[in-house]
Amino acid sequence: MSGDGFEPRIVAFLCNWCSYAGADTAGVSRLELPPNILPVRVMCSGRVSAEMVLKALLSGADGVLVLGCHIGDCHYGSGNHRTVKRIPLLRRLMTYMGIEPDRLRLDWVSGAEAGHFAKITTEFVEAVRALGPLSLPLREDLDTG
Amino acid sequence: MIEDIRALARELLEKGAVKCVIGYEVGPTGRVRPAFVYEPGEVERLIFDGRCDQNLVTYLTRRNKPRKKGEEVPTTAVVVKPCDARSLRVLLNEHQVQRDKVYIIGVACHGMQNADGTPELRCTRCDQRVPLLYDALCGEPPEVLAVRDAYEDVQQIEALPLEERLAYWLGELDRCIRCYACRQACPTCFCSVCEAERDDSLWVGIADRIPEKAFFHIIRAFHQAGRCTECNACEAVCPMGIPLSLINRKIAKDVAQMMGGYRAGESEEPTPLVTMLTGEEAIDEIH
Repeated sequence: MSGDGFEPRIVAFLCNWCSYAGADTAGVSRLELPPNILPVRVMCSGRVSAEMVLKALLSGADGVLVLGCHIGDCHYGSGNHRTVKRIPLLRRLMTYMGIEPDRLRLDWVSGAEAGHFAKITTEFVEAVRALGPLSLPLREDLDTG
Repeated sequence: MIEDIRALARELLEKGAVKCVIGYEVGPTGRVRPAFVYEPGEVERLIFDGRCDQNLVTYLTRRNKPRKKGEEVPTTAVVVKPCDARSLRVLLNEHQVQRDKVYIIGVACHGMQNADGTPELRCTRCDQRVPLLYDALCGEPPEVLAVRDAYEDVQQIEALPLEERLAYWLGELDRCIRCYACRQACPTCFCSVCEAERDDSLWVGIADRIPEKAFFHIIRAFHQAGRCTECNACEAVCPMGIPLSLINRKIAKDVAQMMGGYRAGESEEPTPLVTMLTGEEAIDEIH
């Protein structure tokens, strides 16, 4: 698609109750979505640990997207209260260690917000495309079992 | 002060109030090491001075696990400096240590010294002279002198360009030999099966290479978010001299900034990373 041939690989952690449904709605509505997204369904965005984000980045992802229910709408009440603290903290730590913070993004998508899902994914893919491939040493043969 | 600690230890052991007193002693090579005193006659081994920089709270979580099911947890007395007391507060908050099974011998802290007599860097940043919790306090608390800016060195790294930061950390973490001394010395690293040592390497393999080593250190630091009390035990035991406290203190700084000034071990609140929003947070903007 793009001239230089770099297509970012994005791992998207979608919460089962809102964002995965939102992605589904976007598909059903036949909205145009970037093909770079690899969705991973999790039961709650609060399940997305620093391990998951790091492993995705070290295993070849150029960016990680975490989508959950809006604050107050969490299926479990307060799962996303943890996410909203954890992911920004991880972004700061990543920056400190020398990885661009814009490779990790947290946002909220409800089951009905198909347009919002399409907008976020498109924006994020373009942002990561602008950053270029993530180059970490030895990432291709990371032994993660 | 030493006489106070010895007298108290003897009294506790003679009364049978505690099974063991954990303190400091001078080992055969002349270096200070942790001491486990079980007999009243042995309390003369105990010392306390500027070389006693180990965090003895680390031993309490292991003593809290009985060897046999149903066996009673032994009562332990432990010598605690102000920094160690914060670690102990974290463990009490997380129910890893039972308060009634610990007798806290607090010591008024004059700061620890390096081998050459200069004050330890972390002690020049500290303004606590008396532990936040204790059952008995030994020694007279000294005055608090000027305290150095706590995050000077963290800010130096933050000021580097992104590529230099990555190069710096890859260089530092590449020296890691994965001996896990940092994890063993850390009072708040108490999982019985460590994620980094699982047979199935669910998240991180056991290879001695840079991606796994970096993964291990980043994740270990992240697990201490809002729990690390900056006691520096990890960095002090690292045989390769990796500046681990720079990672932990970066997180502590961000947690304080983002979560309404939270500092680990200063209250009965658990780490904000596991609690609900209170409305006091200053979390970076979500896109």
